[in-house]
Amino acid sequence: MAQDQNNHDNPDTPADQAEAGTQDTGEATAEAEQAGAAEIAELKDQVLRSLAEMENVKRRASRDIENAHKFAVEKLLSDLFPVVDSLEKAVETAEQTEGAQPIAEGVALSLKLFVDTLAKSGVEQIDPLGEPFDPQVHEAMTMVPNPAAEPNSVMDVMQKGYLLNGRLVRAAKVIVAKAPDA
Amino acid sequence: MGKIIGIDLGTTNSCVAVMEGGEPRVIENSEGDRTTPSVIAYTEDGEILVGQNAKRQAVTNPTNTLFAVKRLIGRKFKDDVVQKDIKMVLYKISEAANGDAWIEVKGEKLAPPQVSAETLKKMKKTAEEYLGEEVTEAVITVPAYFNDSQRQATKDAGKIAGLDVKRIINEPTAAALAYGLDKKRGDAKVAVYDLGGGTFDVSIIEIAEVDGEHQFEVLSTNGDTFLGGEDFDLRIIDYLADEFKKDNSVDLHSDPLALQRLKEAAEKAKIELSNSSQTEINLPYITADQTGPKHLVLKLTRAKLESLVEDLVQRTISPIQTALDDASLTISDIDDVILVGGQTRMPLVQEKVKSFFGKDARRDVNPDEAVAIGAAIQAAVLAGDVTDVLLLDVTPLSLGIETLGSVMSVLIEKNTTIPTKKTQTFSTADDNQTAVTIHVLQGERKQAGQNKSLGQFNLEDIPPAPRGMPQIEVAFDLDANGILNVSAKDKATGKEQSIVIKASSGLSDEEIEQMIRDAEAHSEEDKKFEEMVGLRNQADSLVHGARKALEEAGDKASAEEKEAIENAAKELEEALKSGDKEGIEAKMQTLSQASAGLAQKMYEAEAAEAGPGPGAQDGGQNASGGSDDAVDAEFEEVKDEDKK
Repeated sequence: MAQDQNNHDNPDTPADQAEAGTQDTGEATAEAEQAGAAEIAELKDQVLRSLAEMENVKRRASRDIENAHKFAVEKLLSDLFPVVDSLEKAVETAEQTEGAQPIAEGVALSLKLFVDTLAKSGVEQIDPLGEPFDPQVHEAMTMVPNPAAEPNSVMDVMQKGYLLNGRLVRAAKVIVAKAPDA
Repeated sequence: MGKIIGIDLGTTNSCVAVMEGGEPRVIENSEGDRTTPSVIAYTEDGEILVGQNAKRQAVTNPTNTLFAVKRLIGRKFKDDVVQKDIKMVLYKISEAANGDAWIEVKGEKLAPPQVSAETLKKMKKTAEEYLGEEVTEAVITVPAYFNDSQRQATKDAGKIAGLDVKRIINEPTAAALAYGLDKKRGDAKVAVYDLGGGTFDVSIIEIAEVDGEHQFEVLSTNGDTFLGGEDFDLRIIDYLADEFKKDNSVDLHSDPLALQRLKEAAEKAKIELSNSSQTEINLPYITADQTGPKHLVLKLTRAKLESLVEDLVQRTISPIQTALDDASLTISDIDDVILVGGQTRMPLVQEKVKSFFGKDARRDVNPDEAVAIGAAIQAAVLAGDVTDVLLLDVTPLSLGIETLGSVMSVLIEKNTTIPTKKTQTFSTADDNQTAVTIHVLQGERKQAGQNKSLGQFNLEDIPPAPRGMPQIEVAFDLDANGILNVSAKDKATGKEQSIVIKASSGLSDEEIEQMIRDAEAHSEEDKKFEEMVGLRNQADSLVHGARKALEEAGDKASAEEKEAIENAAKELEEALKSGDKEGIEAKMQTLSQASAGLAQKMYEAEAAEAGPGPGAQDGGQNASGGSDDAVDAEFEEVKDEDKK
């Protein structure tokens, strides 16, 4: 076959001269190779990072979308709760008013319709009368000494609270009982 | 290495943000809120509550519910601010052995960093839940006037929370970063007007460009630590209560639930009046007395609101002047004014700031989140993330080829991040067309001629076939350096041709902007052009298809049918010349009807013969199946004469 460039057996052949030449450039080549290898390593790292970040972004995006579905109506609902509050008050008042029976009934039914419809959208009312006070879902408006009630329990609900798909949208506003000073 | 987060540790509220894909992102906590109250409570049963939970039980546990700890952190007990605070809060502030201000909770003494650490722990957890990985490093912001001891104490709080605080940066600096003020060339003097919930801070900062890097220096600060959005709310509440009292002789201040409802309604009204000139406050059953239930319904105009709070806004002006004086600057020295804090959303505030500085303030970044966002940006720079982002570019204008009717068919949309690759399958415009010209264009106009020509080449030796049959796959490959490789391959023969277009053969920034403006200005025109071309192509196909059908039908077609179809085809061709849309459509209708009868006959004849259906009966408008890209294959112009 044709003369092999890397033939070491004949020191005087052009191959050897070529080799001498390659020895000088050998270092340069080695350096270039190292630099190349370093660059490859860096690029590889960048690629992996980018891929990883992409995976993360995909995951977060799908979670954001899921949350958006679950809680999209949160703003609308929290604006509607005062309407429920008012209807409840209306029913209360009407029940105490002479001759307001027909209206009371009508309003009570409207209220029921409203609350039932909200329930279908994943809304749950928090009405914790008598329960132990829980700051996760209740907001204490004031503390009142009350010998008849368990200390730190809810003795009055000023405004009902609401959960949407398990997330608190409005805390129940409550009055908490405390032990009377001895 | 994980992500470094940015935390705005505020006096009343805290916020955490992180850079994601080059964009700063505020993270919602587990309750779904973008900010967390800086309130910490130590309950009877040994629980530590942080945030909204702690706030909600404050009334039941006043001596162990801590807020505004920022006023104490890093200060000595004998400090004026601390002494003032003692009179204002219900929890016990005491002196530590080394003179620092500490807080006594359930008989135990706690250092303020320990308490603030609880808030930081929650922000850390919030970030970890969102990112799905551990977070150990953060950048935290502090007011510009914080001294060394306060900064160190904040750092300690971070450490206690398990965070390595990579840097403490000033709040106004963070805000400036959020506004990208560090991207401008040269030096700038910036005024930061921060009107939040409880405090007002104004800072003058100087951004200097030194060796390509931007350095921030706070020249002066001033403010009013007892002026904020809550004071504005109070004015509205008092007004509403007073009006109600006039009509109902009941003082709502003494009814806790009524007061709470008033407070919420007042804040809501204030916010609405930033966008409308009038709002209605409607509070049914606000209270009751022996005469029955009472309702509050009041209209509030923006003008009225402004008259109620005018003096509060005015109070912010003299601190700005003092800050300028301290920095030895005049109003004209200020290059940019930025607004931070929710209350700056109020039009009156923006107007007053504008008339003071003689220029519009920047307010395009969410004022409640600007500081956290700036901290996140700083965090990303420290993590080395930001440089990666700079590698990604976008192509400023759409790229595509010229197709039948001198239309530009886009392959790569403008503002696509590069590198990117897109392929699409095209076909021939005429029967037995043996070559296609790929004319590469750049621009936003629908008419090919209105865009910039980047280059062209031919793909030849396409085997003769009816028009629309050959599948020519055109690929655009744009690399990170902006070099575009365009190739065209005949799928049948595998023959391929390509061209390389260097980035510099495109347009300058100005030209790009001009093109985009032009495209918008001419969008109506372009739309009509596109419709017209679509119509023409359809009409062409129809004529072609009809004539072909006649040929194939031969003697199956009666003389009348032949005549009708020929005439209709001729008339359509005439109409096409005129360019009258309705005329063309009418003639197309005529031709369709004329050929319909013949088509029917042909189908029946074949069904009888039970032979395979004719090939190009559908006029060649659709791609021959098989290829995924050939969704809307179109036709290409051919230039037979030049053979390169």
